[in-house]
Amino acid sequence: MPVAPSAAQLAALAALIEPGALTTDPSDLATYGRDWTKVHEPRPSAVLFPKQTEEVSKILAYCNANDIAVVPSGGRTGLAAGAVATRGEVVLSLARMTHMGDVDLLGQTVRVQAGAITEAVHRHCEPHGLTWPVDFASKGSSQVGGNIATNAGGVKVIRYGLTRHWVLGLQVVLADGTVLELNGALEKNNTGADLRQLFIGSEGTLGIVTEATLKLARIPARLDVLLFAVEGLAGVLALFAEARKGPFALSAFEFFTDKCLARVQKHRGLRAPFDSDSYTHYVLVEAEGDGADDSELETWLGSLFERSIVLDGTMAQNAAQRRSLWELRESISESLSGTGFPHKNDIALPVASLDAFCAELDGVFAARYPGWDICVFGHIGDGNLHVNVMKPDAMDKAAFLAKTSEADATMFELVRKHHGSVSAEHGIGLLKKKALPYSRSPSELATLSALKRALDPKGILNPGKIFDPL
Amino acid sequence: MKILVPLKRTADPDNANKIKIAPGGAKVVTDGLEPKPNPFDEYAVESALRLTENGTNPKARLAGDSVVVATFGAKEASQTLRQALAMGADSGLLFEASDENLDGDLVARALAKVVEREKPDLVVMGKQAVDGDSNQVGQILAERLGWPSATFAMSIELSQDKKSVIVGREVDGGVIKLKLALPAVITVDLRIVAPKSITNHVTPQTHNYQEGARYAPLPMIMAAKKKPLAEAPFASLGVEGVKTSYVKFEAPPARKAGIKVKDVPELVQRLRAEAKAL
Repeated sequence: MPVAPSAAQLAALAALIEPGALTTDPSDLATYGRDWTKVHEPRPSAVLFPKQTEEVSKILAYCNANDIAVVPSGGRTGLAAGAVATRGEVVLSLARMTHMGDVDLLGQTVRVQAGAITEAVHRHCEPHGLTWPVDFASKGSSQVGGNIATNAGGVKVIRYGLTRHWVLGLQVVLADGTVLELNGALEKNNTGADLRQLFIGSEGTLGIVTEATLKLARIPARLDVLLFAVEGLAGVLALFAEARKGPFALSAFEFFTDKCLARVQKHRGLRAPFDSDSYTHYVLVEAEGDGADDSELETWLGSLFERSIVLDGTMAQNAAQRRSLWELRESISESLSGTGFPHKNDIALPVASLDAFCAELDGVFAARYPGWDICVFGHIGDGNLHVNVMKPDAMDKAAFLAKTSEADATMFELVRKHHGSVSAEHGIGLLKKKALPYSRSPSELATLSALKRALDPKGILNPGKIFDPL
Repeated sequence: MKILVPLKRTADPDNANKIKIAPGGAKVVTDGLEPKPNPFDEYAVESALRLTENGTNPKARLAGDSVVVATFGAKEASQTLRQALAMGADSGLLFEASDENLDGDLVARALAKVVEREKPDLVVMGKQAVDGDSNQVGQILAERLGWPSATFAMSIELSQDKKSVIVGREVDGGVIKLKLALPAVITVDLRIVAPKSITNHVTPQTHNYQEGARYAPLPMIMAAKKKPLAEAPFASLGVEGVKTSYVKFEAPPARKAGIKVKDVPELVQRLRAEAKAL
């Protein structure tokens, strides 16, 4: 089993990269040793900041030869403790690999290093009328390599799909330092199994992504952002059925509850969207139009009110209001952590089963967490629910985690029954390993393990994530 | 009571990183920036609405009350007026003009003409526009009309008989309150949209508004399309001639990269020797 490096080995590692690109400063170790989760204490031996793929290759070759465990690290915005180093591993941060190549206007692609920040990629492409349609609340910190390693989802999945769909080419460094160039920038390449897909979503357990050729999309001519108040989850689903038929391409359909909004208001001091404070369920709709006249949209909106499908609603009147409405949704995760200690679950269900699942889930909550603050939000259009149980202030952390662990088991049984997933977009990391068998069969898990052993026989890459250490 | 709110359409200042200066420093280039109402003017609309409604039913003006919004600008500025109509204003006036041919003095003279025609009891407007930051129009307008004025309002209390207002202004160490007989001109500052900044003796004292300018409710956004919005050329107001010209625009110097210090003594030494802060 891989171990922490000795002082001499650290010196050898430091010699492989630029001076000053290895740190053992305690505050750096605490920062780079963890992601957004608060469950584990970070305890890495060192943090390395390579700038070139060649350096990553040398570092991994050395670590593989010397049985040193490596935790790859991007923007550390993960929510499953996939980038946490707790056992003296070296953290390999891609944060200095931020180069972005020229935008290929004809191919609509851009080649970037793995440490490029998601939002920086958006800004890089925007002047050309193009965007990389991978978009979520933490885009200001998350990095391309991490998005790929976690096959990140986010708020535009209903329109554009997961990160997987927007990666044409990948450069990956294997555990022994081998550099793989996968698929170049080809849209079509039917030459056997697509190895690129193996690394997308592998959470750094099979190889480290160092560069990628990203596929870009045109920025829509017109985006309308609307916010509605509806009656209960049934109201959310009724509005979804209407939005599916609406005179536009649906680019986001997000919902959140009054409990989430209350935390956002407390943490960020944002204005609530409506005068009434009696609403319980809110839906944010982003509609992509062709920029032409909006009479069809108005007819659609009018019918929502006539048929009482919505209780209230507003539409952003300009870009600043679009940002403000999105902020209500995008600051939820941060506000939950900022106002308490959330136990997060990120589950996916077939959209058609959501109603039945949630009815049963309410029963679980009532029995397991009577009177607790439970904040539910999510990308309902993808069947994805973020279920956040907030720790009661008076309860200690250990008791809380024990309690949620029991309740999770009950909830995951429900997820299995409804053919859902225990991790829709957050990944498995350290946090969700116990849940994995609820969504993956024993033979699937055996196949995954075999792949891990084939690509990383010594188990140096992100040990303990997804799989128990080899 | 009739309130006139002059509005300016400005480039969204949150896109400040994309503002460019034309070669030679002739002007600020705002191409590609998304427009939005000058935020202080948006607060003025919110204030005017709060003065003319019962806050428990903000979708309707009180009987006999109305809010008119007016702007001088490009044809697209009508969208800015529509946004105010969707918030609850009753009618809009667009006088088509190019921003480059206007200055604070000309805008004030033109507004005086609008006031002559519309005969409002009160003009409520932003203290300044966030693009030019001139902070002139309200003051010049009041002077031209011979009306009393209060600038930088953080609270407005309308008297029961609607013949006067008491305006709160933040000053060093406290708030000064001015009583103005109507008609009058008030320019507002950002605290005017605090939950209890406006008193009109109709909205219950217990009512708390949400901080900020309201989102337009969807039914009102749709109804706003049918509200009257008159368009006319700026020349029809019969005023012309700017007195201010801009000499040159320069971008602020780029910020130098920060440095990392090893320890506190080095920090202190550098603060003393280089930054001269100690």
